[in-house]
Amino acid sequence: MSEQTLFEKYGGFSKISRVVLSFYDTLLDSDDIGPFFDEVDMSRMVDHQTKFVASLLGGPASYTDNQLRQLHSHLAIEDNHFDELKVVLGETLEEHGFADEDVSAVLQEFENRRTLIVD
Amino acid sequence: MSIEAINEQLLRAIGVGVALLDVKSFSFHFTNDTFEEWFGTPQEGATLNEVLTELDLDSLRAGLREKGRYTAETRFKKKRRTMVIAVDFTPTREGDQEIAVLVCQNITRIRELESMIDSYSMMVERNNREIKREKEQVEKLLLNIMPRAVYEEFKTFGVVTPQLYDPVSVLMLDFVGFTDMVASADPSVTVTELNDIYSAFDRIGEQFGCERIKTIGDAYITVAGLPDPTPDHAKAAANAAIRFIRYLERRNSSHPNQWRCRIGLATGAVVGSVVGIQKYVYDIFGPAVNLASRLQEFSEPMQISVQDDMAVVLREQFEMDSLGTRQIRGFGEQEVWRLLDSSKFVNRTGT
Repeated sequence: MSEQTLFEKYGGFSKISRVVLSFYDTLLDSDDIGPFFDEVDMSRMVDHQTKFVASLLGGPASYTDNQLRQLHSHLAIEDNHFDELKVVLGETLEEHGFADEDVSAVLQEFENRRTLIVD
Repeated sequence: MSIEAINEQLLRAIGVGVALLDVKSFSFHFTNDTFEEWFGTPQEGATLNEVLTELDLDSLRAGLREKGRYTAETRFKKKRRTMVIAVDFTPTREGDQEIAVLVCQNITRIRELESMIDSYSMMVERNNREIKREKEQVEKLLLNIMPRAVYEEFKTFGVVTPQLYDPVSVLMLDFVGFTDMVASADPSVTVTELNDIYSAFDRIGEQFGCERIKTIGDAYITVAGLPDPTPDHAKAAANAAIRFIRYLERRNSSHPNQWRCRIGLATGAVVGSVVGIQKYVYDIFGPAVNLASRLQEFSEPMQISVQDDMAVVLREQFEMDSLGTRQIRGFGEQEVWRLLDSSKFVNRTGT
């Protein structure tokens, strides 16, 4: 049998949905990363965060490297933005009771995609 | 503190936005703290459409006049967050003054959750479609290696009980000089051609109710009478064998590579089962399989050898020649027969 994903380990969509919403709240409040979403429609923004969290935790979404590169190509994302998002993501996961090793695993997955996102 | 004072304080602090408006001019009489937090404090003499710019005043008037109520949804950005507020107007009377009571509820979270559910369910539905497609492919693959009835058993119980099929007719076909062919010609061309030929055999076999069991390199084994018993399994196998040879002859007449085969036919019992745990193979075992294999060795190229018991059945319908008694390894001495293609036989004697 295949290994349990973090998405399943932390309670599936009913629990992960809370992670998504709190991540969404934090992002909008952040003055470093928030401005990237100034012109983004709410449902698209929520859709984006849902897929983002789901794909990092092994949920039902997945993006190919090419898709990620294309989706972010029009944005002037710098390393410091990426770093900030990484901090926010880590904090959000911790707040929702993710174990330390799981948080670092997710952050590593995130880090692996840095070159696709930062231009 | 008086009741009125408490009421007013409550009204100010409550998490619902409340405003009182003049029905005719839609200017503000009162706004509570929550309303002001969302929409700002209206300036002196400001009217409704200056504060809730999205609102359709004509619909509002019509709603109040005809239904005594008007509800709508308004969106605005607070910082960069899209806020969604449900607004609800009801008319009332204060002395001789007509007033509209505006109650605003923050439904941002509900809309955000709805968006998230939409997003998630679309992902899940897409995944389900993919899983369904994969399942169909697995099924197709498994149906290639085992008969449907066996597959159904496998799917339901996770195992296949070995089953005795008695009697069935086994057709064993082997190509002449295949090893040389692979060595001398381009192997990928040879294998592509072999694939074409096997596919044609599968189609021919299907017409006569034969179930292809497996191919081992250049050997092709098909069985009639399995998994569903058929009374004329011997004839089915004989008919398939004759068509296999006709097919190869026709193919050879227009292809540079000449494919010639030997065929053995035998009737008897076999046991069919799935073998292996990780790599499933449906296979058959039994004397009929071994006998067909031995008989195939007695055939000259493009000829069909038939076991004696089976020949007895086939004689009613097919032309047969005796090859005399032969020593068959593991089976003792038996008479062996050659199955002839009667269409050719008629032609030959006719000319």
